[in-house]
Amino acid sequence: MGALNLDFNHSISLREFPYIVRWRDDRCKRCGKCTAVCPVKAIEPAVQLQRSVHSAGPVPEPKAERKVVYVVRQVADMERYCTGCGACTLVCPNEAIEPEFNLQHKFLHYKNRAGEPYKRGGRRNDPLTSTLDRLKFTRISMLTDPALDAGRHEFRIRTLLGRNLPAEELPLVASGGRLVVTNDTFIPPVREIYPIMIGSMSIGALSPPMWEGLASAVAYLNEVAGMPVVMCSGEGGMPPRLLKSRYLKYFILQIASGYFGWDEIIHALPHMVEDPAAIEIKYGQGAKPGDGGLLMSYKVLKLIAGIRGVPMYVDLASPPTHQTKYSIEEAVAKMIQSMSMAWGFRVPVFPKISGTKTARAVLNNLARNPYAGGLSIDGEDGGTGAAYNVSMDKMGHPIASNIRDCYLDLVRQGKQNELPLIASGGVGKKGNLAANAAALIMLGASAVSIGKYIMQAAADCFGDEFNRCNLCNTGRCPRGITTQDPKLYRRLDPDRVAERVVDVFKSADVELKKIFAPMGRSTELPIGMSDGLSIDDKAMAERLEIDYAC
Amino acid sequence: MPVKKITIEGNIDGKRLSSRVLEERIQEAVKDGASDIFVRADGQHGIGGRIWPVEKTVRITVTGPVGQRLGSMGMFGTEITVKGNASDDAGWVNCGAKITVLGDVTNGAHNAAAQGTLFVQGGGGARCDTMTKHNPRFDPPESWYFRDVGDSFSEFKAGGIAVVCGVDPRDPENILGYRPCVGMVGGTIYFRGQIKGFSENDVKLLPLTPQDWQWLKERMMPYLKAIDRTACYGELTASPEAWRKLIAYTPAEKKGRLGLKLSLSDFRNDMWEKEVGAGGIFAEYITHERTTLPYITTGADRRNRPVWANEKYSPPCAYACPTHIPSHKRTALIRQGHLKEALELVLQYSPLPATVCGQICPNLCMQSCTRGRLDRPLNIKELGALALNLPAPKPAKKTGYRIAVIGGGPAGLSAAWQLALKGHSVDLYEAEGRLGGKIELCIPRQRLPHRILLKELSRFKEIGVKTYLGEKIDRKGFEKIYKAHDAVVVAVGAHKPRELKFTGSEHSVPAIEFLKGINTGKLPALKGKDVVVIGAGNVGMDVAVQAFDCGAKSVTAIDIQEPAAFGKELDDAKEKGTKILWPRFTERYDRKAKKIYFKDGSSLNADLVIVSVGETPLVDFLPQSMHTDKSGWIAVNGLGQSSDAKVFAIGDATRPGLVTHAIGQGRVAASVIHSELMHYDYVPEGKQVIPYERIKSEYYDVCRFGSGGKFKPQEEAAICMSCATCRDCRMCEAVCYSGAISRMEKEGGSYEYVVDDDKCIGCGFCAGICPCGVWEMVENA
Repeated sequence: MGALNLDFNHSISLREFPYIVRWRDDRCKRCGKCTAVCPVKAIEPAVQLQRSVHSAGPVPEPKAERKVVYVVRQVADMERYCTGCGACTLVCPNEAIEPEFNLQHKFLHYKNRAGEPYKRGGRRNDPLTSTLDRLKFTRISMLTDPALDAGRHEFRIRTLLGRNLPAEELPLVASGGRLVVTNDTFIPPVREIYPIMIGSMSIGALSPPMWEGLASAVAYLNEVAGMPVVMCSGEGGMPPRLLKSRYLKYFILQIASGYFGWDEIIHALPHMVEDPAAIEIKYGQGAKPGDGGLLMSYKVLKLIAGIRGVPMYVDLASPPTHQTKYSIEEAVAKMIQSMSMAWGFRVPVFPKISGTKTARAVLNNLARNPYAGGLSIDGEDGGTGAAYNVSMDKMGHPIASNIRDCYLDLVRQGKQNELPLIASGGVGKKGNLAANAAALIMLGASAVSIGKYIMQAAADCFGDEFNRCNLCNTGRCPRGITTQDPKLYRRLDPDRVAERVVDVFKSADVELKKIFAPMGRSTELPIGMSDGLSIDDKAMAERLEIDYAC
Repeated sequence: MPVKKITIEGNIDGKRLSSRVLEERIQEAVKDGASDIFVRADGQHGIGGRIWPVEKTVRITVTGPVGQRLGSMGMFGTEITVKGNASDDAGWVNCGAKITVLGDVTNGAHNAAAQGTLFVQGGGGARCDTMTKHNPRFDPPESWYFRDVGDSFSEFKAGGIAVVCGVDPRDPENILGYRPCVGMVGGTIYFRGQIKGFSENDVKLLPLTPQDWQWLKERMMPYLKAIDRTACYGELTASPEAWRKLIAYTPAEKKGRLGLKLSLSDFRNDMWEKEVGAGGIFAEYITHERTTLPYITTGADRRNRPVWANEKYSPPCAYACPTHIPSHKRTALIRQGHLKEALELVLQYSPLPATVCGQICPNLCMQSCTRGRLDRPLNIKELGALALNLPAPKPAKKTGYRIAVIGGGPAGLSAAWQLALKGHSVDLYEAEGRLGGKIELCIPRQRLPHRILLKELSRFKEIGVKTYLGEKIDRKGFEKIYKAHDAVVVAVGAHKPRELKFTGSEHSVPAIEFLKGINTGKLPALKGKDVVVIGAGNVGMDVAVQAFDCGAKSVTAIDIQEPAAFGKELDDAKEKGTKILWPRFTERYDRKAKKIYFKDGSSLNADLVIVSVGETPLVDFLPQSMHTDKSGWIAVNGLGQSSDAKVFAIGDATRPGLVTHAIGQGRVAASVIHSELMHYDYVPEGKQVIPYERIKSEYYDVCRFGSGGKFKPQEEAAICMSCATCRDCRMCEAVCYSGAISRMEKEGGSYEYVVDDDKCIGCGFCAGICPCGVWEMVENA
C-alpha cells in the first residue's frame, strides 16, 4: 500500500514549547470555558483512549478494559503555541488549568516557518533586573539638609515641556507690574506638565475602549485631580471629537513617517478651541529601532480607517524612515519648522528617537535649533504593538546611560535647564513606576513616558518578559487592549481603565514624594540630581558618573 | 505643712546659671519641701518640668526671659505660671503640668503634650499643638490660645483638645495659620473666627454640638481667670455659632474616602461626554452596543460557534474513488439493517462494481480508508464483489433525448449506463464484436474471471441501451452520429500501440496485441521460451503473467526507469517468476540469435520481445473541431467537455488511467450532459475531503484477531468510522456541558443535531469529541 505511514517524523513534542499547559483531570468538570476563551486555540477538547488489562483471579485471567475519555489537550503545533496568557486559568471555575513556563523551550528555533521570522508585541524579553531597577536613592537627608515629610509638606511635582530660555535671553522687562516683550525675539512655547506622561500608543494599536479609557483618565487627572498629566496620541490620528474639544490641550499629537490621520488633523485645525500640549515627531521607537510600524489589515476596520484617513482592510505601514528627509539637519529642522508653523509657533515641538549611541549627535543638533522643544529618547525596554522579535530583543540602547550622556552633554553646554529630555523604555518594567521615573529624572530626564506599564496596571495586560501573551500584533488580545475585534475589546470597560489610570498616577505621585522628600526636594524636580543616586555596580556607577554603593 | 517659699535666681551677679545648675537647684528645692518656687530666669532650658511633687502642689512662677521647653515633661501637681512670653516648645511632652503663660508662646507649644493644660494669654507660634495625644488612663491634654496660632498647627495631632479663641488675631482672616491639621488623626480643635483652609484629607470642619458648647462654656471661665481675661467671657460665650471645630476622620472614614472624589462614570457623563459628545470620542465610528462583554459569551457574542456539518465533507474513501462511490453510506445502510439497499446503491455509481471494485481495481478507497490508519481498511473490494447478482436498476422516465456513446469499454459503458438511468436514449457503438473494451480484451482472465464480467455486462444490457457491435466509426460515420444525437460521448480508449524504434524492433510484438490475442483465443506457443517485456508497468506485468501461462520458461521485464508497476499486477507477475531489470536501454534485437542487447553492453535471451510502453487513441474519425494534444490524446476539461460543445470525451482516449478513472469520467460526463440537456446548473460532486485528524479513531478498538474467515458485510459496516457522516451516537449531546445540543427528529425519519445559541459558549467540545468529525467550529461572524 505505497509508502509507510510516517508517525513522529519531523514532529515535535510539547517539551519544545514555551508554555506547557498543566491541566488537572481530577479537577476539571469539562465546562469548556478554557477552550472557549483561549485566544490562540492552543488547547482543545479531545478524546483519549485508555486501555488496561487486569488479572484478578487465582490464575492468569486477562480482562481488558477500554475507556474513551475526553480531555482538554494542548496542541503541539507551533502555529497555535500556548502563549502562557493564562486566560484559561482566569476563567476556570475549578483551578484545573494553568500554563507553566518551560525553561527548556526552543520556541525561537521553530517560530520562523515559511521563512517568516517571529513577530510579536510586547517588549524585550529580558526578565532580569534592569539598570533602572538597580538605581537607589542613597542621599537621605535627616539632620544634614532640611528633611521633608512627604505626608506633611506640599510638593510641586511639575516639569517643563518646551524650550525654556534662560531668563537673561528672554526679551522681557518688568514694567508697571507686568512683563513686557521688548523685541521680536522668538519666545518658545513651554507647558508645565506632570513629569510622568503616557507615551505614544496609537488608536489602532490600542482598542477603542483602551484608548478612550486612557484619554478620559488624562482629562480627569487634569480637570478633577489637578495633575497636569499629558498623553501622546501615537501615530494613528485622533478622533475629530477630541481634536475639537478643549481637552485637546492635554494631548501630544504624534507625527511619524506614515503621517496617518494628519490630513484629518489639519482639516480640524480651524475648529480647534485649544492647542495640543505638544507635537512629537517620531523618528524611532525603543522597542524596534530602525524598524517601522505596521498595522495589519485585519485591524484596519471602519474606526481605524476613518481616523487614519485610509481605506479599510489594508496593511498600514509606517516606514522606518521619513521619506523626504535625507540628513539630520534637514530632517529635524524641516519637520520642526512645519509642525511649529501649523499651530503658529504656539506649540512645543520635539522629536522622539530610539535609544542609540548617536543620540548625542541628534541632541547637539537640537540644541542649536531655536524651535526644538526637547528630545524624547525611547530605550530598548520600550514596548510595541508589533515588531520582529529580533528588533525587540536585540536592537536598541538602554535608556539609563543614553539619557545620562545626553544630559551631561547639555550640562557641558550649560543648557541643561533649557532643552528638556524625555526618557522612556522600561519605566515601571518591574512595577516600580515612581522609582524608575525618579531615577531617570535624577540622571537628567525632565520627564518620563510610560506605555507597557499602564497597559499592565490599568487594563491587566497579561504580557511580561517571559514572552507571556505578547499577541498585540495579532488582533487577538485576550484582554481587549490591542484588538479591534469588538468581541474582545468589549471585555474592557473604559471607565475601569480610566479609574485605574487615575489610581496609578495618584499613587505614583505619593511615591515620588516619598522619594523626593527625604532628599529635601519639594518645589523643584530634582532633574540631574545625580548625587542622590547610587548603584551597586562599579562599572555602571562609573559609566553613569554616579556613586557606587554596596 | 506650711508653704515653703523660695526664690531661685537664674543670674547671680551678672553671671548666668547654666540650665543644668538651675535645674539642680529647682529639684533640690522641691526635695527640701518647697512648694512655691519663684524663678527669675535668664533663658534657661526646660524650667519647671520633671517635678514629681509629693502630696502638695508645687507652684512655680517664672519671670524674666524664659528659655525653650518651659515645663517640658511637666508632671501632675506642677503648676507653672510665666509672667510674660515663653519661648519655643513650651509644655513639650507635658505629662500633667498646668502651664499658664501670660503672654505669647512661640513655635512648637505643647508639642507632643500628653496630659495637663497650657493656657496662653496671647497667641501661639508655628507648629503649636503638634503630635499631642490622649492616653486613656488620663484626661486629654488641653491647649488654650487666646488670640491665634501660627502655621502648621496641630500636625499629627493624635488626641487632646485645643481651643483658639480668636480674640484680636494678627490675621483676622486666618486664626489657625497656614495648613493646619496635616496628619491629624485624633483630638478636637475648637476655634472662633475665620480660617483659610486645613488638611482636608485628615480632618473635617463641623459646627459645635450642644455637648461641645457645654464643655466649652464650663471650661472658659477658669481659663479666662488664669490668664486674667474674665472680661471677655461674655463675648466668647455669646453664641455657639461663632465657634467651629475640626476633628479627625476616623480610620474607617478615611478608608471610605480613599479613591476618587468624582467617580469615572460621573466624570464621563458630566464632563467628558459633555465636551466630546455623547457616546465618547469614537461614537461616530462604532455601531455595537456600548456595554461590556463577559469573557464567556453566548449567542452572537461568541467568538466561535459549532456547526453540525453532516456530510459537508467527503470521507476519504469516497473522495479517493474517481466515481465517488459513497461506501460510508453503504455501511450506514448496513448498520441500519438495509443490506439490500446498501448493495444496490453502488449501481447508481457504476455498472461494473463486481468487475471493477470487486476484482481489478486497486481500490483507492481502501488505500485512503481512515480505518486503515488504525488497523486495516474496510474491505470495500468484497463489498463490490457482492454486487454481482444484483438486478439492474430501473431507468428514469424517458426524456426524449438521444445520446451516442462511441466505445463500449469501461468509460463508454459507464457513460451509457448513467445516461440510460437518467432516462435518455443511448446508442452505444463498439468496434469489436463484444462489449468491455480492454477489460474484455486485455486483462488476463486470471485476474478478472470472465464469468463475472459477462454477468455484469448482461445486467448492463437490461437497461435498454441500444448497442451496435462491430461498428467501427469513421469520419463519415461520426458525422452521421453527430447529427442524429443531442450529444456524443467519445470513449474509444487507446488502442494504438506506442512504437519503440531500435534495430530489430520490427520483430517485436505490441503488448496490446499479445494480450488481445490471448483473450480472443489465439494462444502463442511459448513453451520453453525466453520472453522479454520492454516496459515494466502494470500492462507489462499482465503480459508477463500471460506469457508464463502460455508456457514461457522465463520472462524478464525491463524498463529505462524505476518500474511503475504496483499492486496485484506486480505481485502476480513476481509470483510467477518475472524478473524486473532497470535501467535498461534497448540497443537492438537480433531475432536470429534470439538475443536482445542493451546500451550498457548486457544482453538477454529473447525468443519473443513484447513492447509494452503504452497506447494512444485512434482519433482519425474525429472532425477538425475536435482538438487533440500533441501526443494524440483528445483534449478535454475535467468534465469531459471537448473543443466541440456537443462532444464529450472520456477514458483512455483522453489520458491513460485506471479503469475506475474511466468509470468516474463516464459518470461525470453523463451528469454534465444531463444537466445541460435538462437545463439546470451542473453541481460538481467534489466536496473537500475531511482531514484524518477529525476522525476520532480512539473510539474504535484495534481488530485483534485479523479479519480472517468469511467476509461479513455487517462486520465491515461496524468497523466503518463513518467519516464526515453523523452516526447518530449522541456523544455530542451528552458531552455538551451547557446542554446546548439536542437531536431533532425531522419529517421522514431523518434527524439533525441543533445548537441552542443562547446556551452554547463556543467551547468546541462537540467538535473535539465527535467520532465522525461532523461538528466543526467556525468563526462567529
